[in-house]
Amino acid sequence: MPNIKIFSGSSHQDLSQRIADRLGLELGKVVTKKFSNQETCVEIGESVRGEDVYIVQSGCGEINDNLMELLIMINACKIASASRVTAVIPCFPYARQDKKDKGFFDIPVDNLYAEPAVLKWIKENIPEWKNCTIVSPDAGGAKRVTSIADRLNVDFALIHKERKKANEVDRMVLVGDVKDRVAILVDDMADTCGTICHAADKLISAGATKVYAILTHGIFSGPAISRINNACFEAVVVTNTIPQEEKMKHCPKIQVIDISMILAEAIRRTHNGESVSYLFSHVPL
Amino acid sequence: MLLNRQRLKYLYLSPVQIRGSAFIQKGEWNYIRKMIWIHCSCLCDIASKLHFTMNVPKTGYRVFSANSSSACTELAKKITERLGVELGKSIVYQESNRETRIDVKESVRGQTIFIIQTIPRDVNTAIMELLVMAYALKTSCAKNIIGVIPYFPYSKQCKMRKRGSIVCKLLASMLAKAGLSHIITMDLHQKEIQGFFSFPVDNLRASPFLTQYIQEEVPDYRNAIIVAKSPSAAKRAQSYAERLRLGLAVIHGEAQCAESDMADGRHSPPCVRNTSGHPGLELPLMMAKEKPPITVVGDVGGRIAIIVDDIIDDVEDFVAAAEILKERGAYKIYIMATHGLLSADAPRLIEESAIDEVVVTNTVPHEVQKLQCPKIKTVDVSMILAEAIRRIHNGESMAYLFRNIAVDD
Repeated sequence: MPNIKIFSGSSHQDLSQRIADRLGLELGKVVTKKFSNQETCVEIGESVRGEDVYIVQSGCGEINDNLMELLIMINACKIASASRVTAVIPCFPYARQDKKDKGFFDIPVDNLYAEPAVLKWIKENIPEWKNCTIVSPDAGGAKRVTSIADRLNVDFALIHKERKKANEVDRMVLVGDVKDRVAILVDDMADTCGTICHAADKLISAGATKVYAILTHGIFSGPAISRINNACFEAVVVTNTIPQEEKMKHCPKIQVIDISMILAEAIRRTHNGESVSYLFSHVPL
Repeated sequence: MLLNRQRLKYLYLSPVQIRGSAFIQKGEWNYIRKMIWIHCSCLCDIASKLHFTMNVPKTGYRVFSANSSSACTELAKKITERLGVELGKSIVYQESNRETRIDVKESVRGQTIFIIQTIPRDVNTAIMELLVMAYALKTSCAKNIIGVIPYFPYSKQCKMRKRGSIVCKLLASMLAKAGLSHIITMDLHQKEIQGFFSFPVDNLRASPFLTQYIQEEVPDYRNAIIVAKSPSAAKRAQSYAERLRLGLAVIHGEAQCAESDMADGRHSPPCVRNTSGHPGLELPLMMAKEKPPITVVGDVGGRIAIIVDDIIDDVEDFVAAAEILKERGAYKIYIMATHGLLSADAPRLIEESAIDEVVVTNTVPHEVQKLQCPKIKTVDVSMILAEAIRRIHNGESMAYLFRNIAVDD
């Protein structure tokens, strides 16, 4: 493909490499370093004049540093006369403080969904998927869960809770039936994992045979890993929007779905001016 | 209760009950009314003045600090003590997933807010805290938001370097977007940075404090000489030398790789020499600059050498300069710098070198470095920052703060 360059920030080089491999390109040369006074310095190593530039940087780890790096890289590309600069941000930071809605941005936003990849994983890895129940750990995720349940043609349930304050859960009530079934918890992000661990306990005590958790963004900060190890999950599945190698060493229950093909396909379609909406319901091979 | 003139009229006209009086003559009644009128109007004036002076700290302006670590809020506390106000109540912290979260605990509607932000080791987090706080205040209807950022970060990345980014300009745009309408800073690395901003920037100077320190704390300062550690610092050194009526020396040479050499503007990478192709156009290659070995221009023999600079960060250059000055006969070496970043193992290098004292201001927190190296001394500049805040709020002229500043400082 002519006129396209992909650069990686320092937050998730593995994912960027996979995306580049799928597109049959090499990652662009860029040097990101920190001076001794901790200021970030970015230098693009090749010409981007007139090119369509994609910068892959995820909002994870040291978020403020990664965010600053992304901004500086975008700025550097613009000053170097790139024709278009697109930021690929698999996990968008500060998303709980504001809504990452289209209306909040002045520029085009493509919000992709991990749902097709999740459906594929369920069909391939959970043998009893035809007779399972999809559960949402809170009332806000009901729409997401019903959409998955409809595509798989299975039942759904949800857990209604009263929260005292953020990251602490109070009473939990299960709405729906999970007796003698495999329960699959689906949520968008897991930070300290208080919610899903409580939900798992609730499901087991309500008669579920096995509990899986499928989360798009596995932030896993603070006591999350120890909580997962002590809880009764069969498996905790996350996508690789956030690097997970370190955490998988500490917790054998974590499995990873690779979503690099979705991002690579989105990049290819955007570059060629094709529609991206195909990706909202299909997983490219 | 605030009495206004309108209500006073009614008080004057309506009958007033005077306790304990039996019988009042008409003439006496008029006299009593007049006295009441005078006293009431006096009270009214006093009451309105009290209202003004008592409430200025509460409703006039608020001062917030957007730093999360307590080492950084020291300067903010000193400034608010001098101003006689309380630091605004807010909570600034990092969540477990490293996102910054800010909670402003009081109403700021319609007020002028000053946000004091010192920049510690973790530069990007401090910038994010400032942006989040400014935006939070903007959306809470503050009237205007003024940032007090004594050391402005990324000020060394203010020129185009190969295919780099002018981060300073990016930062200026971000601050404007977040809602700041004015910035007070100190000793900007390049004065031209003020041009990146779309709003006013007050660039205060620490040099009066440093020259005062030299006059008071350096024994026998009249036998000193001001030294510039590289030719690019010569202008600043000269302004100090003029004010103190001392001589000037400049260090020049190989070890002093100035950053102006690295900021090469718009150099594209050199094109490969095409011997087979075009025979005609061959541009002459620029001669590489030859650097002489490090040398001191000026006489420092038997004198105290005072090196002045705006930022002291990586100290290798300073240590090399101190070596050469010692060789040429300087018997004491001081370094005066406004912003003491002192990163990496600067304290250890200073301790082992020929430098006698390093004097910095408290714009950048450096307590840890002071513990490691007793040669580092601090000058407090909260006075000028507090005075700037006061003057800006009262709409007074800031010219007094710049009265002794030379053009090149």
